[in-house]
Amino acid sequence: MHYIQAFCQWLNETQWSTYIRESDYPFPIIETFHVIGLAVSVGVVMWLDLRFLNIVMRDEPIQSVVDQLEPWAMGGFVIMFVSGALLFLSEPMKCYNTLAFRLKVIMLILTGLNVMYFHAKLYARLPEFDKLPNPPWQLKMVGIVSFVFWFGIIIAGRWTAYF
Amino acid sequence: MTFLHFIPITFFQWCEAVWPGRWIKEATWVFAITETVHIMVLAVLMGSIFVVDLRLLGVGMKRRTASQLSKDLSPWMFTSVVLMVITGTALYMSEAVRLSQSAPFFFKILSLVLALIVQFTIIRSSTQPGKPEGAPLGKIAACLSLFFWFGVAFAGRAIAFL
Repeated sequence: MHYIQAFCQWLNETQWSTYIRESDYPFPIIETFHVIGLAVSVGVVMWLDLRFLNIVMRDEPIQSVVDQLEPWAMGGFVIMFVSGALLFLSEPMKCYNTLAFRLKVIMLILTGLNVMYFHAKLYARLPEFDKLPNPPWQLKMVGIVSFVFWFGIIIAGRWTAYF
Repeated sequence: MTFLHFIPITFFQWCEAVWPGRWIKEATWVFAITETVHIMVLAVLMGSIFVVDLRLLGVGMKRRTASQLSKDLSPWMFTSVVLMVITGTALYMSEAVRLSQSAPFFFKILSLVLALIVQFTIIRSSTQPGKPEGAPLGKIAACLSLFFWFGVAFAGRAIAFL
Protein backbone atom coordinates (compact mmCIF):
# COMPACT_ATOMS: atom_id res chain seq x y z
CA MET A 1 0.00 0.00 0.00
CA HIS A 2 2.87 2.35 0.83
CA TYR A 3 4.25 2.10 -2.71
CA ILE A 4 0.85 2.65 -4.30
CA GLN A 5 0.33 5.75 -2.18
CA ALA A 6 3.78 7.12 -3.07
CA PHE A 7 3.05 6.47 -6.75
CA CYS A 8 -0.33 8.24 -6.57
CA GLN A 9 1.29 11.21 -4.80
CA TRP A 10 3.97 11.45 -7.47
CA LEU A 11 1.36 11.18 -10.24
CA ASN A 12 -0.79 13.84 -8.59
CA GLU A 13 2.05 16.37 -8.88
CA THR A 14 2.88 15.72 -12.54
CA GLN A 15 2.19 18.37 -15.14
CA TRP A 16 -0.46 16.27 -16.97
CA SER A 17 -2.39 15.54 -13.82
CA THR A 18 -2.46 19.20 -12.84
CA TYR A 19 -3.43 20.21 -16.38
CA ILE A 20 -6.52 17.95 -16.55
CA ARG A 21 -7.51 18.75 -12.97
CA GLU A 22 -7.24 22.49 -13.28
CA SER A 23 -8.61 23.22 -16.76
CA ASP A 24 -12.33 23.45 -17.54
CA TYR A 25 -12.93 21.23 -20.55
CA PRO A 26 -10.70 18.12 -20.63
CA PHE A 27 -12.28 16.38 -17.63
CA PRO A 28 -15.94 16.59 -18.80
CA ILE A 29 -14.96 15.63 -22.36
CA ILE A 30 -12.91 12.62 -21.22
CA GLU A 31 -15.65 11.57 -18.82
CA THR A 32 -18.26 11.72 -21.59
CA PHE A 33 -16.15 9.37 -23.72
CA HIS A 34 -15.72 7.14 -20.67
CA VAL A 35 -19.49 6.84 -20.11
CA ILE A 36 -20.28 6.27 -23.79
CA GLY A 37 -17.46 3.70 -24.15
CA LEU A 38 -18.90 2.03 -21.08
CA ALA A 39 -22.42 1.89 -22.47
CA VAL A 40 -21.22 0.28 -25.70
CA SER A 41 -18.72 -2.08 -24.12
CA VAL A 42 -20.83 -3.31 -21.21
CA GLY A 43 -23.92 -3.37 -23.41
CA VAL A 44 -22.15 -5.68 -25.88
CA VAL A 45 -20.49 -7.84 -23.19
CA MET A 46 -23.94 -8.35 -21.71
CA TRP A 47 -25.13 -10.15 -24.87
CA LEU A 48 -22.19 -12.56 -24.56
CA ASP A 49 -23.05 -13.17 -20.90
CA LEU A 50 -26.72 -13.70 -21.70
CA ARG A 51 -25.79 -16.12 -24.48
CA PHE A 52 -23.56 -18.09 -22.07
CA LEU A 53 -26.55 -18.29 -19.75
CA ASN A 54 -28.68 -19.55 -22.65
CA ILE A 55 -31.10 -16.61 -22.39
CA VAL A 56 -30.74 -14.90 -25.81
CA MET A 57 -29.92 -16.08 -29.36
CA ARG A 58 -30.20 -19.74 -28.40
CA ASP A 59 -30.27 -20.84 -32.04
CA GLU A 60 -26.90 -19.15 -32.74
CA PRO A 61 -23.73 -21.16 -31.89
CA ILE A 62 -21.95 -19.70 -28.83
CA GLN A 63 -18.65 -19.42 -30.67
CA SER A 64 -20.32 -17.52 -33.48
CA VAL A 65 -21.76 -14.98 -31.01
CA VAL A 66 -18.35 -14.58 -29.31
CA ASP A 67 -16.47 -14.14 -32.59
CA GLN A 68 -18.92 -11.57 -33.94
CA LEU A 69 -19.30 -9.44 -30.81
CA GLU A 70 -15.97 -9.64 -29.03
CA PRO A 71 -14.12 -7.17 -31.33
CA TRP A 72 -16.79 -4.51 -30.55
CA ALA A 73 -16.64 -5.22 -26.84
CA MET A 74 -12.84 -4.89 -27.02
CA GLY A 75 -13.10 -1.62 -28.98
CA GLY A 76 -15.44 -0.16 -26.35
CA PHE A 77 -13.16 -1.43 -23.61
CA VAL A 78 -10.11 0.32 -25.12
CA ILE A 79 -12.01 3.66 -25.23
CA MET A 80 -13.12 3.09 -21.65
CA PHE A 81 -9.68 2.06 -20.43
CA VAL A 82 -7.80 4.94 -22.07
CA SER A 83 -10.33 7.55 -20.94
CA GLY A 84 -10.45 5.92 -17.50
CA ALA A 85 -6.65 6.05 -17.19
CA LEU A 86 -6.75 9.78 -18.04
CA LEU A 87 -9.48 10.41 -15.46
CA PHE A 88 -7.41 8.55 -12.87
CA LEU A 89 -4.34 10.56 -13.89
CA SER A 90 -6.22 13.79 -13.15
CA GLU A 91 -7.02 12.87 -9.54
CA PRO A 92 -4.93 9.91 -8.32
CA MET A 93 -4.94 10.92 -4.66
CA LYS A 94 -8.72 11.30 -4.58
CA CYS A 95 -9.08 7.84 -6.18
CA TYR A 96 -6.52 6.33 -3.81
CA ASN A 97 -8.49 7.56 -0.81
CA THR A 98 -11.92 6.47 -2.09
CA LEU A 99 -13.19 3.05 -1.01
CA ALA A 100 -15.52 2.81 -4.04
CA PHE A 101 -12.56 3.26 -6.40
CA ARG A 102 -10.51 0.57 -4.64
CA LEU A 103 -13.43 -1.83 -4.98
CA LYS A 104 -13.74 -0.85 -8.64
CA VAL A 105 -10.09 -1.74 -9.33
CA ILE A 106 -10.46 -5.10 -7.56
CA MET A 107 -13.58 -5.90 -9.60
CA LEU A 108 -11.82 -4.87 -12.84
CA ILE A 109 -8.93 -7.23 -12.09
CA LEU A 110 -11.34 -10.07 -11.29
CA THR A 111 -13.27 -9.39 -14.50
CA GLY A 112 -10.00 -9.55 -16.44
CA LEU A 113 -9.14 -12.89 -14.82
CA ASN A 114 -12.62 -14.12 -15.72
CA VAL A 115 -12.04 -13.25 -19.41
CA MET A 116 -8.60 -14.92 -19.30
CA TYR A 117 -10.11 -18.07 -17.78
CA PHE A 118 -12.75 -18.12 -20.53
CA HIS A 119 -10.17 -17.82 -23.30
CA ALA A 120 -7.65 -20.23 -21.79
CA LYS A 121 -10.00 -22.99 -20.68
CA LEU A 122 -13.38 -22.69 -22.40
CA TYR A 123 -13.06 -21.00 -25.78
CA ALA A 124 -11.50 -24.01 -27.55
CA ARG A 125 -14.31 -26.23 -26.24
CA LEU A 126 -17.20 -24.02 -27.47
CA PRO A 127 -18.00 -26.22 -30.54
CA GLU A 128 -18.37 -29.13 -28.13
CA PHE A 129 -20.64 -27.07 -25.81
CA ASP A 130 -22.84 -26.12 -28.76
CA LYS A 131 -23.82 -29.78 -29.15
CA LEU A 132 -25.18 -29.86 -25.60
CA PRO A 133 -28.78 -28.81 -24.92
CA ASN A 134 -27.59 -26.45 -22.18
CA PRO A 135 -24.17 -24.76 -21.71
CA PRO A 136 -22.05 -26.32 -18.90
CA TRP A 137 -21.89 -24.66 -15.47
CA GLN A 138 -18.36 -23.29 -16.07
CA LEU A 139 -19.59 -21.20 -18.99
CA LYS A 140 -22.65 -20.03 -17.06
CA MET A 141 -20.36 -19.09 -14.18
CA VAL A 142 -18.24 -16.94 -16.53
CA GLY A 143 -21.44 -15.20 -17.70
CA ILE A 144 -22.71 -14.56 -14.17
CA VAL A 145 -19.33 -13.33 -12.88
CA SER A 146 -18.96 -10.95 -15.83
CA PHE A 147 -22.52 -9.64 -15.50
CA VAL A 148 -22.31 -9.07 -11.74
CA PHE A 149 -18.84 -7.50 -11.80
CA TRP A 150 -19.52 -5.19 -14.72
CA PHE A 151 -22.59 -3.79 -13.03
CA GLY A 152 -20.59 -3.64 -9.79
CA ILE A 153 -17.91 -1.64 -11.64
CA ILE A 154 -20.55 0.81 -12.93
CA ILE A 155 -21.95 1.26 -9.39
CA ALA A 156 -18.49 1.72 -7.86
CA GLY A 157 -17.50 4.10 -10.67
CA ARG A 158 -20.55 6.27 -10.17
CA TRP A 159 -19.99 6.30 -6.40
CA THR A 160 -16.34 7.30 -6.82
CA ALA A 161 -17.64 10.61 -8.21
CA TYR A 162 -19.98 11.18 -5.25
CA PHE A 163 -17.30 10.95 -2.56
CA MET B 1 -32.50 27.23 -26.11
CA THR B 2 -34.10 26.00 -22.87
CA PHE B 3 -37.55 24.80 -21.74
CA LEU B 4 -38.06 28.05 -19.85
CA HIS B 5 -38.62 29.70 -23.23
CA PHE B 6 -41.90 27.80 -23.72
CA ILE B 7 -43.12 26.70 -20.32
CA PRO B 8 -43.78 28.95 -17.29
CA ILE B 9 -41.49 28.54 -14.29
CA THR B 10 -44.46 27.59 -12.08
CA PHE B 11 -44.62 24.20 -13.84
CA PHE B 12 -41.01 23.42 -12.90
CA GLN B 13 -41.55 24.63 -9.35
CA TRP B 14 -44.58 22.33 -9.14
CA CYS B 15 -42.43 19.36 -10.34
CA GLU B 16 -40.01 19.90 -7.49
CA ALA B 17 -42.79 20.36 -4.96
CA VAL B 18 -44.64 17.07 -5.58
CA TRP B 19 -43.65 13.43 -5.08
CA PRO B 20 -41.17 12.03 -6.16
CA GLY B 21 -39.25 15.26 -6.89
CA ARG B 22 -39.52 16.54 -3.34
CA TRP B 23 -38.66 13.18 -1.82
CA ILE B 24 -35.53 12.75 -3.97
CA LYS B 25 -34.44 16.32 -3.31
CA GLU B 26 -34.70 15.89 0.43
CA ALA B 27 -32.90 12.54 0.70
CA THR B 28 -29.60 12.92 -1.19
CA TRP B 29 -28.81 9.20 -1.32
CA VAL B 30 -32.03 8.51 -3.26
CA PHE B 31 -30.73 10.75 -6.07
CA ALA B 32 -27.40 8.89 -6.11
CA ILE B 33 -29.08 5.47 -6.22
CA THR B 34 -31.57 6.52 -8.90
CA GLU B 35 -28.75 7.99 -11.01
CA THR B 36 -26.69 4.80 -10.63
CA VAL B 37 -29.65 2.71 -11.84
CA HIS B 38 -30.13 5.18 -14.71
CA ILE B 39 -26.51 4.59 -15.84
CA MET B 40 -26.69 0.80 -15.44
CA VAL B 41 -29.80 0.67 -17.61
CA LEU B 42 -28.08 3.02 -20.08
CA ALA B 43 -25.51 0.28 -20.72
CA VAL B 44 -28.25 -2.28 -21.44
CA LEU B 45 -30.14 0.12 -23.71
CA MET B 46 -27.12 1.38 -25.67
CA GLY B 47 -25.81 -2.17 -26.04
CA SER B 48 -29.01 -3.37 -27.66
CA ILE B 49 -29.42 -0.33 -29.91
CA PHE B 50 -25.76 -0.45 -30.94
CA VAL B 51 -25.81 -4.13 -31.95
CA VAL B 52 -28.99 -3.82 -34.05
CA ASP B 53 -27.82 -0.57 -35.72
CA LEU B 54 -24.43 -2.08 -36.56
CA ARG B 55 -26.21 -5.02 -38.16
CA LEU B 56 -28.31 -2.68 -40.29
CA LEU B 57 -25.03 -1.07 -41.39
CA GLY B 58 -23.73 -4.52 -42.34
CA VAL B 59 -21.23 -5.03 -39.51
CA GLY B 60 -21.12 -6.83 -36.16
CA MET B 61 -23.45 -9.85 -35.96
CA LYS B 62 -23.41 -10.51 -39.70
CA ARG B 63 -24.44 -14.15 -39.39
CA ARG B 64 -27.88 -13.18 -38.07
CA THR B 65 -30.41 -11.09 -39.96
CA ALA B 66 -31.39 -7.67 -38.64
CA SER B 67 -34.92 -8.91 -38.00
CA GLN B 68 -33.69 -11.93 -36.01
CA LEU B 69 -31.44 -9.69 -33.93
CA SER B 70 -34.14 -7.15 -33.34
CA LYS B 71 -36.46 -9.94 -32.17
CA ASP B 72 -33.72 -11.26 -29.80
CA LEU B 73 -32.91 -7.90 -28.29
CA SER B 74 -36.09 -5.81 -28.44
CA PRO B 75 -37.62 -7.08 -25.16
CA TRP B 76 -34.41 -5.90 -23.41
CA MET B 77 -34.43 -2.65 -25.34
CA PHE B 78 -38.02 -1.75 -24.52
CA THR B 79 -37.72 -2.75 -20.87
CA SER B 80 -34.65 -0.52 -20.59
CA VAL B 81 -36.34 2.41 -22.36
CA VAL B 82 -39.18 2.18 -19.83
CA LEU B 83 -36.74 2.01 -16.89
CA MET B 84 -34.73 4.93 -18.33
CA VAL B 85 -37.85 7.08 -18.60
CA ILE B 86 -38.99 6.19 -15.06
CA THR B 87 -35.59 6.84 -13.40
CA GLY B 88 -34.97 9.84 -15.67
CA THR B 89 -38.33 11.43 -14.82
CA ALA B 90 -37.66 10.95 -11.12
CA LEU B 91 -34.21 12.58 -11.45
CA TYR B 92 -35.69 15.40 -13.52
CA MET B 93 -38.43 16.17 -10.99
CA SER B 94 -35.88 16.58 -8.21
CA GLU B 95 -34.15 19.43 -10.05
CA ALA B 96 -36.75 20.63 -12.55
CA VAL B 97 -36.09 24.35 -12.00
CA ARG B 98 -32.35 24.02 -12.72
CA LEU B 99 -33.04 21.82 -15.77
CA SER B 100 -35.62 24.29 -17.13
CA GLN B 101 -32.67 26.67 -17.67
CA SER B 102 -30.26 24.03 -18.99
CA ALA B 103 -29.51 24.01 -22.74
CA PRO B 104 -28.00 20.46 -22.68
CA PHE B 105 -31.21 19.17 -21.05
CA PHE B 106 -33.30 20.76 -23.79
CA PHE B 107 -31.15 19.11 -26.47
CA LYS B 108 -31.23 15.79 -24.62
CA ILE B 109 -35.04 15.71 -24.67
CA LEU B 110 -35.14 16.88 -28.30
CA SER B 111 -32.65 14.15 -29.26
CA LEU B 112 -34.63 11.58 -27.25
CA VAL B 113 -37.89 12.43 -29.01
CA LEU B 114 -36.16 12.16 -32.41
CA ALA B 115 -34.46 8.88 -31.40
CA LEU B 116 -37.80 7.39 -30.38
CA ILE B 117 -39.46 8.55 -33.61
CA VAL B 118 -36.66 6.91 -35.64
CA GLN B 119 -36.94 3.76 -33.49
CA PHE B 120 -40.68 3.33 -33.97
CA THR B 121 -40.77 4.21 -37.67
CA ILE B 122 -37.82 3.46 -39.96
CA ILE B 123 -35.87 1.18 -37.57
CA ARG B 124 -39.02 -0.85 -36.94
CA SER B 125 -39.84 -1.14 -40.64
CA SER B 126 -36.21 -1.99 -41.52
CA THR B 127 -36.12 -4.85 -39.01
CA GLN B 128 -39.32 -6.56 -40.18
CA PRO B 129 -38.81 -10.18 -41.33
CA GLY B 130 -38.07 -10.57 -45.04
CA LYS B 131 -36.51 -7.12 -45.53
CA PRO B 132 -33.73 -7.20 -48.15
CA GLU B 133 -30.13 -7.16 -46.87
CA GLY B 134 -28.34 -3.82 -46.73
CA ALA B 135 -31.27 -1.70 -47.91
CA PRO B 136 -30.31 2.02 -48.04
CA LEU B 137 -33.25 3.02 -45.83
CA GLY B 138 -32.03 0.63 -43.14
CA LYS B 139 -28.58 2.18 -43.25
CA ILE B 140 -29.97 5.70 -43.03
CA ALA B 141 -32.20 4.59 -40.15
CA ALA B 142 -29.21 3.08 -38.32
CA CYS B 143 -27.11 6.26 -38.76
CA LEU B 144 -29.93 8.47 -37.50
CA SER B 145 -30.58 6.12 -34.59
CA LEU B 146 -26.90 6.08 -33.54
CA PHE B 147 -26.65 9.85 -33.95
CA PHE B 148 -29.73 10.64 -31.84
CA TRP B 149 -29.15 8.00 -29.13
CA PHE B 150 -25.50 9.01 -28.68
CA GLY B 151 -26.78 12.60 -28.74
CA VAL B 152 -29.02 11.76 -25.78
CA ALA B 153 -26.07 10.27 -23.88
CA PHE B 154 -23.68 13.16 -24.73
CA ALA B 155 -26.20 15.86 -23.85
CA GLY B 156 -27.17 13.95 -20.70
CA ARG B 157 -23.58 13.94 -19.52
CA ALA B 158 -23.23 17.62 -20.41
CA ILE B 159 -26.12 18.55 -18.06
CA ALA B 160 -23.84 17.87 -15.13
CA PHE B 161 -21.09 20.16 -16.43
CA LEU B 162 -22.70 23.13 -18.23
